[in-house]
Amino acid sequence: MRFKYGMLAPLVAVFIAVVGFPLLYALYLSFTDYKLTDRGAPDLVGFENYLSTFTNPAFWEAFGVTAVYVVVAVGLELVIGLAIALSLQKQKWARDVTRSMLLAPMFITPIAVGLTFRFLLNDQIGAIPELLRGIGISYDFFGPGRALFTLAFIDVWQWTPFMVLLLLAGLESIPKQPLEAARVDGGSPWYIFRRIVLPLLAPVLVVAILLRALDALKVFEYVYATTRGGPGTETQTIQYFTYQTGIQFFRLGEASSMAFVVLAVVLTVIVIAFRRLERNKRA
Amino acid sequence: MSLRKKSGRFAAGVALAGAIALTATACAGSGGPAEVTSSGLGNIPEDTSGTVRILMENVPDTDIVKDLVSEFNTVYPDITVDIESLTFDQMRDKLVSSFQSPDPAYDLIVADNPWMVDFAQAGFLEPLDQRIDSTTDYDAADFFTPLTDITTVDDVRYGVPFYNYALGYLYNTADYEAAGLQVPTTLDELVSDVTALKTADRAGIAMQPQRGYKIFEEWANWLFAAGGSIYDDEGNITLDTPEAKAALEAYIDAYQNAAPANSLNWAFDEAFRSVSSGEAASMISYNWNLPALNDPAGASGDLAGQFKLAPMPGGKQVLGAWSWAIPSNSGAPDAAWAFASWITSKAVDVERVSAGGAAIRESTLEDPAVLEDGFGADYYEAVKQILSDAAPLSQGAGGEEMIQAVGTELNEAVAGTKSIDDALRDAQSAAEKTQG
Repeated sequence: MRFKYGMLAPLVAVFIAVVGFPLLYALYLSFTDYKLTDRGAPDLVGFENYLSTFTNPAFWEAFGVTAVYVVVAVGLELVIGLAIALSLQKQKWARDVTRSMLLAPMFITPIAVGLTFRFLLNDQIGAIPELLRGIGISYDFFGPGRALFTLAFIDVWQWTPFMVLLLLAGLESIPKQPLEAARVDGGSPWYIFRRIVLPLLAPVLVVAILLRALDALKVFEYVYATTRGGPGTETQTIQYFTYQTGIQFFRLGEASSMAFVVLAVVLTVIVIAFRRLERNKRA
Repeated sequence: MSLRKKSGRFAAGVALAGAIALTATACAGSGGPAEVTSSGLGNIPEDTSGTVRILMENVPDTDIVKDLVSEFNTVYPDITVDIESLTFDQMRDKLVSSFQSPDPAYDLIVADNPWMVDFAQAGFLEPLDQRIDSTTDYDAADFFTPLTDITTVDDVRYGVPFYNYALGYLYNTADYEAAGLQVPTTLDELVSDVTALKTADRAGIAMQPQRGYKIFEEWANWLFAAGGSIYDDEGNITLDTPEAKAALEAYIDAYQNAAPANSLNWAFDEAFRSVSSGEAASMISYNWNLPALNDPAGASGDLAGQFKLAPMPGGKQVLGAWSWAIPSNSGAPDAAWAFASWITSKAVDVERVSAGGAAIRESTLEDPAVLEDGFGADYYEAVKQILSDAAPLSQGAGGEEMIQAVGTELNEAVAGTKSIDDALRDAQSAAEKTQG
């Protein structure tokens, strides 16, 4: 074996063990009727699980719920994160303290965040409803038509700092010369932001959105800790639905096929996003 | 690169993938239970040695059991009891992994009632008929019948009762007296009482309409109170009936007019907090919450002592239960039965219940030592009535899925996103699909 391939061997071995085997095993399970309560080897059922997944309205409803959640959460994180990053870029004093404090929510485990907000938003003992009542507002955070947005808000609270971190790094890597030239030419701040900063920040923005969207797509803990998918199925996300099918209801084969359908959709989105990015770069 | 080289690498890749897939095939479900070494004996010799690893829920009743272990060791000095406690949500996954493993993690478990049929039919649990019948003075007929019904699958007993989760009506007597009301005996009275109990700063009833298990567990009591049932005598699902409709209408009426505002997602924690803090006058919950509500050192503070327990209007209520069961791959089944039969024996059950444990034996609730303890004879009388006429949420396999499916439909009806008729029709359909 040539030396360069030999050097790759440890990485390949770890990759196969850590990523490849679980992935292949899950793929295999998705073609079986395996239940957690089964004993012995399961039977192969071909594409039956995939057919069941594709024709299951509850699965697609959960997919839709997750998509709305991702769009709302990541959209807000992008806008708020960009605003904070632009402010921090101009900060002159105590930069390190501000930045480290801002990152604090990211260090808390999501299940703890979910449980905290479950009680914080509780109408009876929660501080936030109490404050709102003080100004004459009664708002059911986990009520119909609102619960999903509440979960998105929790995501925004926890993960906007991540967006800030990425965007701040992107802003600070933008070369100063075009900005100075625009200022000398009398460009307004809004014009400079729209015509210079945003285009130069575009690659970072795409990566930031992609990373956050992929992470938000995995939302499970907030649902588990707060609504358990309710009211009705309004907050039943794809991960919670898959968890229920595979772990709670024991149908691991069916749940594996769901996971692979999600994987296929996500990979398609990623490939399209990166191809567009490359095309824009070339243009 | 030549075509030959390419096809060679492709073949190698396919071979590697195939090898991994074959390994995967070999893994799935291959870890079945090891050979059973159970003697099937009832009376376990006192010189038996071994370690019994037990998984229990992280709740006060587990602490009571832990406190009794030293007493067990005076009888069985060579048996080590090693209790691991986890939160409810983590338990089942750990149990299923242990059942599947040739090197199990647990020798004795406590099983929740919706799991019992699935576990038994999967062959995960050891049949206990022989042990129960051959244990001297065990008196299995003394257990409340609804509790032993849960442990019996296809006429075989796979467990013995450990703890009951039967529900009842918990209410604040001071609030009732102030409102000039009597404890409700019909569903209509329940709705009118809790509506009348509502004031500007207090709800009439703290409800638990959270999607899934919680709402189904709570609403089923209303269903029984309306004269309905979850299953008929032949075991058919009966959720789309006039009684079920009346029960759901009453439930929604109470939620809208007597429950705390914005409590659609409440579960046990919130409801208990609401009642113990005086912000709600009543709740439908587990019978053994009464000692907790009346505990002067507990959450109720000055309100401790004001609470009472009554059977549900109509006299029938929902029953949940934990049962001791021995995994069929247990590494120490005899030692496990020694502990399970000892802790559920008449004498030890009196000690456990006196310490705050939930009742499982009829004789325990008539024992002077229990009746004279701090919780009160009227409390135990109510518990006795409750346990004498109670039914579980599910029968048969797939109980967990049925409960979740029905609980989702009920929650939709309370949220107003589905009509009562549609919700009950869909609940019936989902339950039939799961268990029909």
